[in-house]
Amino acid sequence: MSEMLFYPLAASVCIFAGLAVTQKNVFHCALYLAMVLLSIAGIYFYLDAPFLGVIQILVYVGGIITLFVFAIKLTAHIEDKVIRQTSQQWVPSLMITGILLCVLFRFFSQNPWANPNLGKPTTLAQLGNFLMTNYAVPFEFISLLLLAAMVGAIVIGKVKK
Amino acid sequence: MHIAHYIPLFPFLAFVINIFVGRRLKIGSAYLAVGTCVLSFLCSLKVWQGFLQGERSYSLGTWLLIQGKPLDFGIIVDPLTIMMLLIVSFIGTFILIYSIGYMHDDPRFSRYFAYISLFMASMLGLVLADNFILLLIFWEGVGLCSYFLIAFWHERPAAAKAGIKAFVTTRIGDTGFLVGMLLLFFTTGTFHFSDFQFLRGPEPVLTLAAILIFAGAIGKSAQFPLHVWLPDAMEGPTPISALIHAATMVAAGVYLVARCFPLFAAHPAALQTVAVIGGISALMAATIAVVNNDIKRVLAYSTISQLGLMMLGLGVGGLSAGTFHLMTHAFFKALLFLCAGSIIHAVGIQDIRQMGGLFSKMKVTSVTFCIGALALAGVPPFAGFWSKDEILLTAWNNHHPVLFAVALLTSLLTSFYMARLIFLVLFGKPRSELHAHESPAVMTIPLVVLSVFAALAGFIGSPLKEATGAYEGSQVMMLASTMVSLTGLGLAYLIYIRQMALPQSLLMSCQGLKQLLLNKYYIDEIYEVVLVKPILRLCQGSFSFDMKIVDGLVNGVANVTQFCSGVLRRTQTGLVQNYLLVQVFGVVLLIMWLLKI
Amino acid sequence: MIPLEHFCLLSAFLFCAGIYGALTRRNAIGILISIELILNAANINLVAFNKYLGTNDGLGQAPTVPSGQVFALFVVAIAAAASVVGLVLIIAIYRHAKSLFTEGFHLMKE
Repeated sequence: MSEMLFYPLAASVCIFAGLAVTQKNVFHCALYLAMVLLSIAGIYFYLDAPFLGVIQILVYVGGIITLFVFAIKLTAHIEDKVIRQTSQQWVPSLMITGILLCVLFRFFSQNPWANPNLGKPTTLAQLGNFLMTNYAVPFEFISLLLLAAMVGAIVIGKVKK
Repeated sequence: MHIAHYIPLFPFLAFVINIFVGRRLKIGSAYLAVGTCVLSFLCSLKVWQGFLQGERSYSLGTWLLIQGKPLDFGIIVDPLTIMMLLIVSFIGTFILIYSIGYMHDDPRFSRYFAYISLFMASMLGLVLADNFILLLIFWEGVGLCSYFLIAFWHERPAAAKAGIKAFVTTRIGDTGFLVGMLLLFFTTGTFHFSDFQFLRGPEPVLTLAAILIFAGAIGKSAQFPLHVWLPDAMEGPTPISALIHAATMVAAGVYLVARCFPLFAAHPAALQTVAVIGGISALMAATIAVVNNDIKRVLAYSTISQLGLMMLGLGVGGLSAGTFHLMTHAFFKALLFLCAGSIIHAVGIQDIRQMGGLFSKMKVTSVTFCIGALALAGVPPFAGFWSKDEILLTAWNNHHPVLFAVALLTSLLTSFYMARLIFLVLFGKPRSELHAHESPAVMTIPLVVLSVFAALAGFIGSPLKEATGAYEGSQVMMLASTMVSLTGLGLAYLIYIRQMALPQSLLMSCQGLKQLLLNKYYIDEIYEVVLVKPILRLCQGSFSFDMKIVDGLVNGVANVTQFCSGVLRRTQTGLVQNYLLVQVFGVVLLIMWLLKI
Repeated sequence: MIPLEHFCLLSAFLFCAGIYGALTRRNAIGILISIELILNAANINLVAFNKYLGTNDGLGQAPTVPSGQVFALFVVAIAAAASVVGLVLIIAIYRHAKSLFTEGFHLMKE
């Protein structure tokens, strides 16, 4: 994949992320988030992690974003543009996050990694093998967690009569 | 446990039962109180019998060790104690019976009998105690009951105030008592009365200790200058006035002096103090009683006067005379108060100027009242004559001419004011609309019984005669004392019945004196200005100091804390995002520190 | 060859944007969106470091150990679980308080 594809993708991530946290309409925000996630999936492809990119699109864009849209639609009049969406502490928040960003930029620009060692890209078979051997126990725990989240969501979301 | 120990326990039991379940017992609470009192009387008789067979003091065991010396829960059995036991339980029984009639429709009927039972227990314990500490406990006990019972009708402000006045005034004397007692202990190392014959110590200290102990007696027996509480104590129910403020508790002061008599006798200055204070009280109170118009207050001043006479008798060295008068006085003064109570019960007023002509309407009360008055006036052959005669005789024989004159003058005044009381209340024409009626039998029977004793108790003679070897009666003295009494009676007759012009005009001519007497020598007013007001001002000052400075400090600390908390409280908005902001700020600072930027 | 720092910078920006959103959004769903951004910032870092520094021998010959990718997978799964539960909670609160604004339900009980 062309190296030059990275920068448009990165730019798209930054722009849509900025929009996603500043826009008034929450529904739009969710869509901007979907764009951010799609761009990040592209970056994963670029980083020799095609499986992760696919998962990103499937789980995030296909699942979570859909969930967000449902939630927004269920909570009715949220998309009303008249309502202010930003709290009163946006000025100090902006200052603090700005400072944090400056600090990080300064640090990364002053401390480059001298010698990156690029290894052979991982194949899907290797990844699967790895997941089922070295990381078998966490993998099972993740499945348990997902089950618990599902059950919990049903219980909490049930309308009590 | 000897039988004497049970004597105070019976009334105490009645107190415990009455105070907790008395309300349910209704009239039963009174029977309980009377019954326990009778039991105490019977036990006292048994103790007397034991004494005649040679039994003496008993100890229940060591209570505590003071500087290695044991202090016992002991009782003393001697003629003085036995006399007091019999008087207290006997008179107490009849006054309790009388109270059933007098208090019959009072809403706190059982409470009254509970208090009076507690009083009986304390008083009997007081006379049984064989050391100062035990005596002091019961001494305070009777004082407390006195306070309860004076202020029994505490809805009336005057009664509540009188109760406090009595309590505080006697407290002044009690402080002296306590100091004197401790002084005596630290000088001689004993609290026990039985050791008093052998006291060794520096003369001035022991004299001071004796006078301080006498201060307790001054407070309790309402002697000058602490006599002001007794007339006000008449706000209590009349049987209380009879029992506590005439017959028994106020006599406790006299008892105390008699009990410590060896100590006083060994120090003439102390004895002299007793005699002088007694003489002043006797004369002063008698003069006030002459002009007072409240039937109970006349009797109250008479009590002060008679107690003063007892003190005088003791002070001139007549242990036997003083205690003899204590005994006879208990009978006739209790009788007089009960008669007065009967009259008040019947007519509902206390001002003798509005009474009159009650003799025909209340025969039993009137006759017994007359007997009591004659006994007090010292007319032979009634009880007061014998004991008063003995005091006069002792004073004369021991070469105290001034005190003798004071006692004689007091006798004159006594017979005069008692006759005035009788003539104004019982004889003449009614001076206002009175619907008098005789009291019920439950009240008149005690009157009759007590009047028998008031008439005849004098023939018994002083119970301490053998012990002290009193003087044989002198016929000259008897004649003189009789003459004085009759003179008083005659004067009163001339003024109040015949209403002769000369004595009237004489009385009119000394209005200034009358005003002075009516205002009780302005002693209350002097105390008010000299003592009460400055103390109140001091209290107010302390109060405002406490409120403004002390409380101000405390409140100031609280206010500062509250202010600071109020400021800090604003950080606790309850909004998670505020907290998150601060958290992120902290993380940013942490990152900057870690990256050394 | 894109330098590793650029990925870090991208991730830093994404992270800061997420933080800003989490701090300022009044809408609870907006806050959840911001949190997703923060998690993805972390994921970018994981995958990038795995690619650039993922070999054991330091020569680039041995196959890359895909720990970073596995971690990123786990993060995705956890993010999914978190947003599911979070959104259901938001809906439950909305039913109760009729509001989605954080200051509207800052009391634990009403």
